Amino acid sequence: MRAVAVGQAELRLFWRNRMALFNSLVMPLLIAPALMAADADGVPLVIGLVGFVLLMAVYYNLVTTFVARREELVLKRLRVGELTDPEILLGASLPSVVVALGQMALFAMIVGVLTGISLPSQPWFLVLGVVGGVCVFVLLAAASSAFTRTVEMAQITSLPVLVACLLGSGLFFPLSVLPSGVASVVRLLPLTPVLDLLRAGWNGGAVVQPMIVLAVWIGLGIYAVRRWFRWDPRR
Amino acid sequence: MLQEGGFPPDLTVTEATKMWAGTLTSPRPFDEALSLVDLTHRASVRVKQLSGGERRRLDLALALLGRPEVLFLDEPTTGLDPESRRNTWELIRSLLREGVTVLLTTHYLEEAQALADRLAIMHRGRIVVQGTVSEVVDAYPSRISFVPPLGVSLPFVADPDGGRVTVRTNNLQETLHELLAWAHVNSVELSGLDARSASLEEAFLAIAEEAA
Repeated sequence: MRAVAVGQAELRLFWRNRMALFNSLVMPLLIAPALMAADADGVPLVIGLVGFVLLMAVYYNLVTTFVARREELVLKRLRVGELTDPEILLGASLPSVVVALGQMALFAMIVGVLTGISLPSQPWFLVLGVVGGVCVFVLLAAASSAFTRTVEMAQITSLPVLVACLLGSGLFFPLSVLPSGVASVVRLLPLTPVLDLLRAGWNGGAVVQPMIVLAVWIGLGIYAVRRWFRWDPRR
Repeated sequence: MLQEGGFPPDLTVTEATKMWAGTLTSPRPFDEALSLVDLTHRASVRVKQLSGGERRRLDLALALLGRPEVLFLDEPTTGLDPESRRNTWELIRSLLREGVTVLLTTHYLEEAQALADRLAIMHRGRIVVQGTVSEVVDAYPSRISFVPPLGVSLPFVADPDGGRVTVRTNNLQETLHELLAWAHVNSVELSGLDARSASLEEAFLAIAEEAA
């Protein structure tokens, strides 16, 4: 796997980047009390943390990574080498994804031990939700980076996805409190089907609609990346 | 080789080189590539702390990592000190001897003259002349210049420029011989005498003038 060489370099850069470390490793810990205030049970807390890790450690982190590497001309250089385009993006995403998966596992274990939640009854839906979620947010990050001139601008350009997903996916309040029209719209947001699948993994529930929504987002993400992703800076 | 940049500033020279090596099918050992460009002593330094010239050399090291058969070098010696430039020239010559084809762009005409088997001069995006160095240069006259004593009438046409006189000729040896013979016979002292074959620089300047 040639992309791993890029991934290893990215992992080093990740450890050397305080901002990325803070966003990925500390932010989820800061958000945990807010999630517990919304729902003190173990399972919703784990699901909420997974959602938050997808947003911060995968999505936000990768928007800044893609922009930084583009502006440093690293993407341009890699592109003239032997790697294919998907390999470059995969390599650049690897550390964020690995760190995020590690965090999810760690949080699930800690919360599991502390609150004594039962094991998921349908673990495959859990795996599907996590893998699908990672794919969606890697793709969305690459797409968002196309509209982000500088690393600093990522704080603004990532807001639409972050805010929509935080408010619309039932992280802080159940979607059932929303009017039914609004609720069915927010179910189409990218994070919502991921969390639905996770809930289904533990408690059962509808999985077909979330799987379709997730697949559509992955399709849209691939389209957006092919259409808009920029490999070198606008000059 | 890019004209600039392309390294994450927070990686060390070794890490950046290893990363690039990891993406290649059959790379050279990374330390061999670094020693080819004299960067071994900077191996553990972060890229952002390198000088401009050192970055150019790192860039060249990465270009050499994949043992290329064809090498594109975009201004490889820009920003290098004279010693590093000589070393880079030596490196390029040894690559040429190994059979590597090199396409090199440069603003330094002496560099093109020293390295190129064939060259092309671009002016405003168009190739205005191409060929071997001597094909390009031979189209332009050689020059002899000197400062004659005041009031001496010269035996041939020359352009005076201040006190200095420049003679252009397509046969340097013959014209120089005539000039020296005349000076000897008439006991004329030619101070600051300078005779030179056309160089790429003259060809280039003439081309730029014609086109302007």
